[in-house]
Amino acid sequence: MIALDNYPSGLIENIDKKGISEDKLLLLAKCDMNRDKVHCDCYLAATKDELLIISGIMTLNPKAGVNRHFSAASASRLEATFTELSYECHMLSTLTDFSVEEMLSTCRLTAQSEDADGRILLALFTNTSKLQMSLFAKYIKKIKDGKEPELDEEDSKATQFCPKCGSRYPDPNRKICPRCMDKGKLIRRMAKLFMKYKLQLIIIIVILVAMSALGVLSPYIGSAFYYDEVLRDGGSFYGEILLVLGMILGMRVFTLLLNIVNGVITSKIACLVSYDLKQTIFNAIKRLSISFFTGRQTGGLMTQVNNDAQTIYGFFCDGLPYFLINAVQIVVLVIMMFVFNPLLAALSLITIPLFGFIVRFIFIRLDKLHAKRYSSSRSLSSALSDVLGGIRVVKAFSKEKNEVKRFNRHSERLATNEKNLANFQNVAWPLSDFILYLGNIFAWGFGGWMVIRGELTYGMLLTFIAYMNMVYNPMYFFMDFSYWATDCMNACSRLFEVMDAVPEVVEAENPVSMENMQGRVTFNNVEFSYVKNRKVIDGVSFDIEAGKVIGIVGHTGAGKSTLANLLIRLYDVNEGEILIDGVNVKNISFTDLRKNISIVSQETYLFMGTILENIRYARPDATLDEVIEASKIAGAHDFIMKLPDAYSTRIGFGYKDLSGGERQRVSIARAVLRNPKILILDEATAAMDTETERQIQTALERLVKGRTTIMIAHRLSTLRDADKLIVIENGKMPEFGTHLELINKKGIYYKLYKMQAEALKNIGIEA
Amino acid sequence: MSEEKINSAVPNELRGIVDIVYLNRDNCKITEKNGFIGLRAVLDKREESLFDEEKPEKESKPDEKAENSERDGKDEKKDRPAVVTTDLGDGKVEKLAERIFLSRAFPFDMPFEYISVLDRDKKEIGLIRALDDFDEPDRSMLLHELEAKYYTPVIRRIISVKERYGFSYWKCECEFGETSFTLKDTFRSIIKASSPDGKERAFIIDVDGNRYEIPDMEALDRHSYKKIELYL
Repeated sequence: MIALDNYPSGLIENIDKKGISEDKLLLLAKCDMNRDKVHCDCYLAATKDELLIISGIMTLNPKAGVNRHFSAASASRLEATFTELSYECHMLSTLTDFSVEEMLSTCRLTAQSEDADGRILLALFTNTSKLQMSLFAKYIKKIKDGKEPELDEEDSKATQFCPKCGSRYPDPNRKICPRCMDKGKLIRRMAKLFMKYKLQLIIIIVILVAMSALGVLSPYIGSAFYYDEVLRDGGSFYGEILLVLGMILGMRVFTLLLNIVNGVITSKIACLVSYDLKQTIFNAIKRLSISFFTGRQTGGLMTQVNNDAQTIYGFFCDGLPYFLINAVQIVVLVIMMFVFNPLLAALSLITIPLFGFIVRFIFIRLDKLHAKRYSSSRSLSSALSDVLGGIRVVKAFSKEKNEVKRFNRHSERLATNEKNLANFQNVAWPLSDFILYLGNIFAWGFGGWMVIRGELTYGMLLTFIAYMNMVYNPMYFFMDFSYWATDCMNACSRLFEVMDAVPEVVEAENPVSMENMQGRVTFNNVEFSYVKNRKVIDGVSFDIEAGKVIGIVGHTGAGKSTLANLLIRLYDVNEGEILIDGVNVKNISFTDLRKNISIVSQETYLFMGTILENIRYARPDATLDEVIEASKIAGAHDFIMKLPDAYSTRIGFGYKDLSGGERQRVSIARAVLRNPKILILDEATAAMDTETERQIQTALERLVKGRTTIMIAHRLSTLRDADKLIVIENGKMPEFGTHLELINKKGIYYKLYKMQAEALKNIGIEA
Repeated sequence: MSEEKINSAVPNELRGIVDIVYLNRDNCKITEKNGFIGLRAVLDKREESLFDEEKPEKESKPDEKAENSERDGKDEKKDRPAVVTTDLGDGKVEKLAERIFLSRAFPFDMPFEYISVLDRDKKEIGLIRALDDFDEPDRSMLLHELEAKYYTPVIRRIISVKERYGFSYWKCECEFGETSFTLKDTFRSIIKASSPDGKERAFIIDVDGNRYEIPDMEALDRHSYKKIELYL
């Protein structure tokens, strides 16, 4: 049996009572609601010929709590009883076409029923159960076909719950449970990145150890040794002030030297490691398939590259060494204090727990205040950039006053939050400093009393107080360290997520080298979906001879651009195959594939840089003559020459802003320059006026001779020269043929054509 | 009566430029079959606009459709059109839809007004201005459908919020008991809105797309408010 969810033993007993033994069950899944929108445990089970729907309440051992989000794995470890609320049984033979209808926060499983003459509702559930139920729908189809279903490997991995603790993965694509993440392993893996600089790191640590040893020693020599052995009559070095001064000075100089060396090495590897990290992350990112990027925010990725490297570097180069050194130093100091005088040591350290407690509280509170300040400053700056970016719209609708009001509101909130933060800090820090200082008072008081009673020497007391302050000083740092560590763990796990992400589209192991393609493109029953169960391309087949011009028409969102994305393998097809010159694109090497195919897409992207650099992007070795020729073909030359800096005009963020049509022409020039065997123009001329479009097309016509060209457009005039047309509707390809054939067919194309022709007729143009 | 009301709500300059079909108790009846709702409406016959799909033509090409349905096994429903339109004469048509789908135009601000009624192919049949334009039992059928689609449990109390590794883990007390959920990008997962009576509301959308509502932020106990305050 395939159990898509865990189930209580009580359920099986319950089913058994209905005369269906456990071994007859083939499929079982659970959803979290009944059909009346009441939360309960609703089980769907299937035998060879029946579908059972049992809803009820599962009661778990109270120790674990009933929690539907954590139930998957933990349930198996618990005794569970099942109380049935409702039960129904459908004959599988009467049901067809199982499908999961997504609504908004709920989904429903429906099926076509013979008995009811129409669709019936089988189950209602929240999005939490969506995955399980769509798998259920998939497997029950197999059962209906009379097959004994087996769980696909891919589906068994599709679990959304951590196998260890049973909690749900925050991101189903990223199987990392933050609760069970092995932090030690993470740190070890991270540390490997630093191993390159082993020598320098060892030097740094040695220096830090030496410095902390000197740190422990110098108060002793400066106070206890100086007062008790040198200044006091009868000390073993009585009167030898110069010697002691020499020692102190020597130590100071030595410390100074160590400090300088340490600083130099640290800052050197700081830059190197941070550079390495950024490079590692960027290398990992660019290797990934396009779907990785569409699944995440691009802006977020960029911040990731920069900030994470900084955080990780900071933790390992600043935080960790400082922590280790201080930890060692404190242990040594405390031991020494207790050796010198246990009573005084205990008394002077007595304030530390209190201090720790208060500082902890301060940090928690500060964290909240900082978060509030941060969120208000974020909304202020986003409001500001929003208004400045849209200043044209603001002015056009004369909404300046409202915008000022809006800005003031954000600004006021930020000011309040900043004031609160400052107020709190001004009270909290002096207070915690004072508590630390109380320790000093204790030590002075009891120490002084002990000196008078002769139980302690004066020098010893001074050493003690110096030590005490050395113990106290890093306390703030220690309190903050846990936050720092968490931050770093977070950055590390994100970094490894990027590094570990497996590209979905991978080059074949032994790719076929195709330096010169002919350009014959064949689609064989291609199916594709971006999201599971939602087919964008559904059974598209066509064959384009080399050197032909093919037009793809269809409504917006019909899947036209997806066809192009599939051809250049930004995504891989789910079913069927795409062949170029009879070779499956999956077997063609990436270099050859992309060298021979150029795409100008509807979203033109120009990089920061000059126009020349942008046109040359695909072929940096192109001569200037070629660049100009390509721009002429693309109709870009004329407008470029009108710019003051012509081809050297800098474009991109903060520089010259090109209009939509201009950008498209530059990107066509870019594609043309590459001189590909297959050229894809995906609404490439949509932002231009008809005349410019005509001009470019005439030029392109000359260029595309002998080249396979795929033109995607919804304006039919763009496609007037196409040899054959493909009509795409809802991911399917209902029509394929020449213009004449399609007109005679009187189908979708005919309608589109009539519509656009009529539109032209209205303004007095005969098409 | 409703005709008046509708027209008065539309600014004069825009009236009559596009046809909006408003559905109400006078022109529409809600039907039910196997737990799914449908409708029967008598509407003014509209001139088919250029952009509308011409139904007869679509059906006149069964060859392709038949091919597809064999492969899919899914298209037997296509045998019946999504909406059956019959001309009643007198400039009226009757539209019969076996299944309709509802979609809120302003889901947060006006959950029971401006509801788009779509057919099986997600084409709009008409718009419901307000749920109150329908009498019982139609009204409750619509309401039931809406509530199933926009299922949004009400959060009564926030028990704990833990933030770890860019996600936040929430434990809340809802109307049906204790529940927990996970948010990705917490700031953007919480939507602030205001209810018609001026109360400050918040909607929380978790990683799965499930929705939760806090109908009145001020009515929240201090303990809970402090937990969510940070993300507003």
